[in-house]
Amino acid sequence: MKEAVVLAAEVAAGHDGEVDLVLTLSYENGVVGTVILDADTAFEIMQSCGATSSADLVGRAWHDILKGI
Amino acid sequence: MFDILIRNGKVVDGTGARAFLGDVGITDGRIVAIGPELQQEGRRVVDASGLVIAPGFIDPHTHFDVQLLWDGAAKPALEHGITSIIPGNCSLSLAPLKADDRKTLIGMFQQIEELPPEAFTQAFDWTWEDFAGYRAAIEPALAVNVAPLVGHSVIRLWVMGADAQQRAARPDEIAAMQDLLRECLEAGAVGLSTSFVDVDENARPVPSRFAQFQELDALCAVLGEFGRMLQIVPEFYDTDITIARIDQLAELSLKHRIPTTLSPVFDNRQSPNNVPRTLARIEEQTARGARVWPQMQTRPIDISFSLLRPSLFFARLPGWIKVLRLPVPERMIALRDPATADRLVADVGEDGGERLMGRLVVRGGGEAPDHLVGRTLGEIAAERGEVPARALITLSLENDLSIGFLAANGGHDSTERIGPMLANPLVHIGASDGGAHLTSFSTYGDTGYLFSEFVRKSGALSLELAVRKITSDTAEIWGLKDRGLLKPGFAADVVVFDPQIIARGEERPAFDMPGGGMRYVRDSIGIDTVLVNGEVAWSKGSYSDSATGRVCELT
Repeated sequence: MKEAVVLAAEVAAGHDGEVDLVLTLSYENGVVGTVILDADTAFEIMQSCGATSSADLVGRAWHDILKGI
Repeated sequence: MFDILIRNGKVVDGTGARAFLGDVGITDGRIVAIGPELQQEGRRVVDASGLVIAPGFIDPHTHFDVQLLWDGAAKPALEHGITSIIPGNCSLSLAPLKADDRKTLIGMFQQIEELPPEAFTQAFDWTWEDFAGYRAAIEPALAVNVAPLVGHSVIRLWVMGADAQQRAARPDEIAAMQDLLRECLEAGAVGLSTSFVDVDENARPVPSRFAQFQELDALCAVLGEFGRMLQIVPEFYDTDITIARIDQLAELSLKHRIPTTLSPVFDNRQSPNNVPRTLARIEEQTARGARVWPQMQTRPIDISFSLLRPSLFFARLPGWIKVLRLPVPERMIALRDPATADRLVADVGEDGGERLMGRLVVRGGGEAPDHLVGRTLGEIAAERGEVPARALITLSLENDLSIGFLAANGGHDSTERIGPMLANPLVHIGASDGGAHLTSFSTYGDTGYLFSEFVRKSGALSLELAVRKITSDTAEIWGLKDRGLLKPGFAADVVVFDPQIIARGEERPAFDMPGGGMRYVRDSIGIDTVLVNGEVAWSKGSYSDSATGRVCELT
């Protein structure tokens, strides 16, 4: 694997009672970790990378998604 | 003769020791005798037959700072058995605060606590600037005990003015903050709170977030002079950063010999390694001698949303995302368009949204008609001859999109996972946020839920352990003198409850904030009597006029 990619995108309850988006990432070195995004940020990155739903983020390069933040 | 004799109860003394049948005698606000069949009479007798007699519960993470100015009982916390609270969390307290900075702080409080503006303009007079003055303002009418934190953000604001939200502090400013913190601790503050997360009403980071490590280190040196607590809000949405904060807290704890606590820590199925990794690091740092206490709430997280603001509840539904991201006027036009509405309904699948939306509950407190409040969308849809997705759209349009929906138990909701976490001796049960998030969800009743869900239902904690976790453990962690135990000489903070039914009530809107402002609350279930410093503050569904709460003495 040459770059970090999104393995999964799931919604989860946030501390403030709103819904967050949990992205599971697989990094170049094999480490798997999660990044949690609030609604505004999640919708922005989905729009910027042309994803029509959270499921569309799966398989995308993290580098490309970061451009939307 | 005792002032009060609580008779024939199951005594759970807060130590974790096995319960026994007995009586508790109280005189002059103190517990003076505990044992089976005490021989003295009482001027007042509370019959605890079939009930538990326990120390009053202590809530270590609240935001009742403002409410205490017109409600010394911190209602409804007291009726849930809570006799001591710790306000001033998350870097925000009401003192020390210069008159010129009040408007700035009000914005931050409104953002975090969701208090109505009238709470600051009608409910009390600002009679103080310093911490001792705030203490004097609340103390006469207290019905609960209070151990107030002082907020890092207000200390910065006092010393740096508007620059507090713009830059790091100079050495002379750090020294001034140290002096100010010392003054607050001498006036009775239980510690310092700071936040790495919170924002003000304009989405700007609160002042504490502009501090460099040297500043926090210098303030912790002052905490070390008194042995007082540092509370932080870590970047809880990122496990790695949270672990880095734990390491930072451990260094501060060891260097300055202070206790530290971080809140919140919560569990989600979507990031199942978060709590195990956090607790593993806590265990390592505790083994080094550091005092770092992660606070975990008992209650599940409920999700709420309306169509007024795009929610990730719809993250998997492309058609819904597209419509909900339109400006509100265009969004309403789109939702009214029959073809668009048909597409949205089709988007949720063949069941018309029954699985995804059928169990959503219509929330009260907003624009929802009373006859719909508390009912599920599935029920309402069936009554209207619609599928749930269609009912969601039509109900929203009928109420200008201002109708709220609740998805209960959306996170931190796995009893099997959370029970053992709460029972872990390294976990500090807290993080209720009592007095905050007023219009989003209820922050009351976590103690009832501890007993109903994790003692009665799952058995993850024994009755004795559950009581200990929210009484003597909390008092010891925070250094609250002579509280948290049923023990001769200790303050007579006592709760009498029915272990078979203690629970939290259903969430409901209450319009009891200044100016008729709304908040969500939960009533208590199974709490019979609550005593604060030897006086009955709550009994069988009613508050008394007692005002025996105090600012807690510290060890």
